[in-house]
Amino acid sequence: MDLQEFRDGLDGWLDEHQPDLVPPHGSDVSLDAEMEHLSKVKRLTFDAGWMRRGWPERVGGLGGSTLMRAYLGEALASRDLIEPGIYSMTEVLAPTMIEFARPELAAEMVPRLLRGDETWCQGFSEPSTGSNLGSLSCRARRDGDAWAVSGQKVWTSLAQYADRCVLLTRTGSPESGSRGITALFVDMDSPGITVRPIRAMHGRDEFCEVFFDDVRVPGDRILGEVDGGWAVAMDLLPYERSTSLWHRGAFLRQRLERLLASPSGDALDPAALGEVVQLAFAFHARSRATQYRMAGGERLGAETSIDKVLLATTEQAVYDLVADAAAADVALADDPDGARWRTEFLYSRAATIYGGSAEVQRNIIARRLLDLGVDR
Amino acid sequence: MMDAETAGLLAQSLRRAFEDGDAASADAALDEIGWCEALAAEGIAVVPLLFAEQGAANAASGALDDLLTAVLGLPPGARTAFVLPEFGGRSVPGSVRHGDLAVRGLGTARMAAADHAVVVTEEHRAVVVETGRLRIQPVKGVDPRLGLARVEGAGIPAPGAGRATDAGWTDALAAGRLALAYEMTGASRTMLRLAREHALTRVQFGRPIGSFQAVRHRLAECLVALDGGEAALAAAVEMAEGAWPARVAPVPAGIAKALAGRNARTVARHCQQVLAGVGFTDEHDFHHYFRRVLALDGLLGDARTLTRELGEELLRTRRLPAVPSL
Repeated sequence: MDLQEFRDGLDGWLDEHQPDLVPPHGSDVSLDAEMEHLSKVKRLTFDAGWMRRGWPERVGGLGGSTLMRAYLGEALASRDLIEPGIYSMTEVLAPTMIEFARPELAAEMVPRLLRGDETWCQGFSEPSTGSNLGSLSCRARRDGDAWAVSGQKVWTSLAQYADRCVLLTRTGSPESGSRGITALFVDMDSPGITVRPIRAMHGRDEFCEVFFDDVRVPGDRILGEVDGGWAVAMDLLPYERSTSLWHRGAFLRQRLERLLASPSGDALDPAALGEVVQLAFAFHARSRATQYRMAGGERLGAETSIDKVLLATTEQAVYDLVADAAAADVALADDPDGARWRTEFLYSRAATIYGGSAEVQRNIIARRLLDLGVDR
Repeated sequence: MMDAETAGLLAQSLRRAFEDGDAASADAALDEIGWCEALAAEGIAVVPLLFAEQGAANAASGALDDLLTAVLGLPPGARTAFVLPEFGGRSVPGSVRHGDLAVRGLGTARMAAADHAVVVTEEHRAVVVETGRLRIQPVKGVDPRLGLARVEGAGIPAPGAGRATDAGWTDALAAGRLALAYEMTGASRTMLRLAREHALTRVQFGRPIGSFQAVRHRLAECLVALDGGEAALAAAVEMAEGAWPARVAPVPAGIAKALAGRNARTVARHCQQVLAGVGFTDEHDFHHYFRRVLALDGLLGDARTLTRELGEELLRTRRLPAVPSL
């Protein structure tokens, strides 16, 4: 199936099934309900075959170009059927499993993630380890042929719903830095794991603290090599800045279109609107090229930091425009549509913080793309 | 489409053509390379190469005149110049009253030596006039090396008032904007290269200033702006339709030029700060590129005007502009 056939088929299928896929709206919709809806969308699109395209057959996919994955998320976000932040976790975690897990483990687990039967989370950040990922200290020590994990993670998105976790642990000496890290695939129902959700400023339990108290992880749940976890993380991060950003871009475009068509659109300043649309056009063009590089089998790397900075800048510019044109909604509204603008505006403030802060991206660009040598 | 090898060879010849920066010798070299033939054969595909190289080299030529002339379906060549709208604006430079043509606009470095000039009128017709009938005043301004000229004329007999171009003016504007955007991007890339080299060699507090985060982030900001702008430009080129003269979609071309103009200011600001004192001297090359982007931004509609016009158009249609699909 080529992209054009996929696009035509999917568009027709979505037209037909739209009523089943519309998410619950309103200010009283809980994250529980949103997660349930997401699982449903993933299940329906998986069972109809759309979600399986672009993924290898050995993990339950139907093969073909990764552009189909990019288009599926784009189509769902453009129709306002998903929130891309929680939808696109798949784009970050599944490629890592395919690349680094035992083939049998990947074959068993990845279909569950794609079909929405399971939710996974990504255990990277720690209280003392934000931007400086190589300094993490959550400890994994050998326990026979298994690992025993003790320590803490934080800012772990969806941990309260997660069935599994891609976890980075310290297996080398405390000073081993990026050389002494091992990645494990952990069942979240293992004894010794405690999850505490953290309420974010926009009113959602966006992320969690996760505590590990002597949690036993079987030896065959290793991802990559012992002390080779840095490679896993470095491989994963560019994925965090490719297809998932394309999905987010489609979502922003849909929201901007909504703003333009709404009564608040009358209050838009033409110059400000023009500038935001130009930014969004540049991001779209850049991210589109990235999707083609990925589909062509290129290994993504530091250059995706450009995509991330462009997206974060665009996202905040879009919602700055919202805050100006729909000021009363953002400040006062309690109706679902108005409150949604506020929630999204508040969430947009995090765009330059999560997924590698704007500063970390600029560090990567300076070091790896401009070749300015080490930062001292 | 050109293959990579042909493009590489063309880029090399262009770099040589722009080596000494003089417009007349650049035009002669472009003639030798066969620029007008390449334009006819490859269409818009050769525009990025030429104008990016011209911008990177701080060179001037009549390549823009050739492009605009060719898009209108007239024969381009070193003896034919093109009258551009006035600085910052986009209105046609010509108007016809009772069979008499009046002209008010700008010329490139080719204007003074050319035999003929193409003037587009309010009725979107292209009139070819002898340059001897025009008052051509060289402009030094912010960028003397660019060789712009003020062009004026009145009472020029224009029987039949030239050939109809209709959509041609919109097409010419769009193609010209892409060209200028590539040229500004080329100039901006050179500013970034100069600032990067300085950051690696200038030592303060016992280490290269490029090791300080404040400096690194400024340069990173430049690369983000340039790569984003160049992606938008490539998308605008890709959205051009049909055989030569290809119809360049006007909205993406306007977006790309506005981005290139604004990004050039961003790049100039950061690079100037990194270059600091030496970048403020006349001896350092930086100012030539800064001058160039200030001047180029004002040709065929500046960033500010294009941005406001885009916003006004979107408020009328209440729809976002089309983007290339996957």
